[in-house]
Amino acid sequence: MNPVAIVGTGQTRHARARDDASQAELVREAAARALEDAAIEPRDIDAVVIANMELFEGRAWPELWVGEAAFAAGKPCVKVATGGTSGTSGCIAGIHQVASGLFDIVLVVGFEKHSEGHTQTGMTLTDPYWDRAVASGAVGNFALSVSQYMAERGTTERQAAQVAVKARRNAARNPYAHLQMPALTVEEVLASKPLAHPLRMLDMCPQSDGACAIVVASGTRARKLNPRPAWVRAAATRHEQPFIGDIERRLATMRTLREAAREAYAGAGIGNPLKELDVAEIYEPVSYAELAWYEALGFCEEGQAGRLIEEGVTEMGGELPVNPSGGVLSTNPVGASGVIRVAEAALQIHGRGGERQVDGVRTALATGYGVYAWADAIVLADRP
Amino acid sequence: MIRESAIRIPFRYAAGGAGSRFLAALRDERRILGARCDGCRRVFAPLRSFCSSCGASPLEEIALGPGGRVEAWTARADGTVFALVRLDGADTALLHRLVGLPGEPRRGMRVRARFAAERRASILDIAGFEPEEGASA
Repeated sequence: MNPVAIVGTGQTRHARARDDASQAELVREAAARALEDAAIEPRDIDAVVIANMELFEGRAWPELWVGEAAFAAGKPCVKVATGGTSGTSGCIAGIHQVASGLFDIVLVVGFEKHSEGHTQTGMTLTDPYWDRAVASGAVGNFALSVSQYMAERGTTERQAAQVAVKARRNAARNPYAHLQMPALTVEEVLASKPLAHPLRMLDMCPQSDGACAIVVASGTRARKLNPRPAWVRAAATRHEQPFIGDIERRLATMRTLREAAREAYAGAGIGNPLKELDVAEIYEPVSYAELAWYEALGFCEEGQAGRLIEEGVTEMGGELPVNPSGGVLSTNPVGASGVIRVAEAALQIHGRGGERQVDGVRTALATGYGVYAWADAIVLADRP
Repeated sequence: MIRESAIRIPFRYAAGGAGSRFLAALRDERRILGARCDGCRRVFAPLRSFCSSCGASPLEEIALGPGGRVEAWTARADGTVFALVRLDGADTALLHRLVGLPGEPRRGMRVRARFAAERRASILDIAGFEPEEGASA
């Protein structure tokens, strides 16, 4: 694999409804900022990857309608649509295109405008016989796994609420974040509306409108374009069987994320992720998921995730800050969310994190989670 | 400016060979069919045409349940209870609903399929899983 780095990032202001912008304008807002950040011109882009879940907006071929906004007209362009992992898998696709030597510069743009369609309908368009007829949708599906995980690990509602609070407080330092709640308390999370036992409203991510873009460059170009390129040390992806009942104790084992992380750490030469990573941007659509991911990502032993959040290990000032951006719990335009994870991880290495910058970041992790337990893991570093 | 619109989309989906046999057995015989893989020795619910673990095909057809255990559950605000039920004889769980509960369900509780009076070759020909006679909720 040829050396690859992320040299620029750009994202929109994310909100419940960006009625001020069309899908194309939203994509252009993020793409233009990424080009500006990388100090490149549209003609420098060799190829474009679009990440989006078109069922949510109910408009076919997003790469057609927003491609030109991402400077794709007349260039190679593909779409990645793998649910929550759309963004991270889109980034990995762009990374592979450059790593192969096929292209020097690839622009990856993820977007979603949940306010324009009906996300729950899109989520319900699952297998018509076994899933759709009984129950489908993000909340209930997660709730089943969460109740099992809680019972096995002894995780408390309070520990999950602490994750929810950390996310929204961190988001208050991120000018692009959707839910910025600097004064949110654990008690307010625990008092929020019950959705599906044991999940409450503030345990869940919001639905956001937004877009995010990254500029992926070959080694030679990267050194010229950015004084501190975010080098891709490893990228791994795993899919899973379709039916939740087939997967052994899904959230407790989380074999896809566990395996993707194991492969990525091996590729990046990481033995102790808690000590060797400086920051992590992980895809946590539910408060409880972040705790389960701590274990799957090897930040702690099984059953110790609650202790990590209680002791502040993953807070901004902790040993391994997790989601300085506020994470998916604060901002979730699905097709963009994975790109945001990678962009935020790259931003931390670029040293352009503003108020959410963690000091001295040299190694960063970005992860994706999508559909029924698909997972991506990407390790970025300040050296190739 | 916002343009509002709604689309009604009709579909027709084929259940396939294994799915059709499963649904016919539910409707006509009140039997829940599963599949045993000779390769990895796992038993899947519902019946399927190839192994979800090792990919082997074809699989042996066997009857499961109608009793089983609750592996995980969640309750919606309207009181509907969804669960993963591991049928007797199966290694995987079936996603379905719990019905006729005297109180809050618990993991590991014994349940039994309650078949719908009017059956239409749907997974909802099982009206839900109810606590087994003598099982404490």
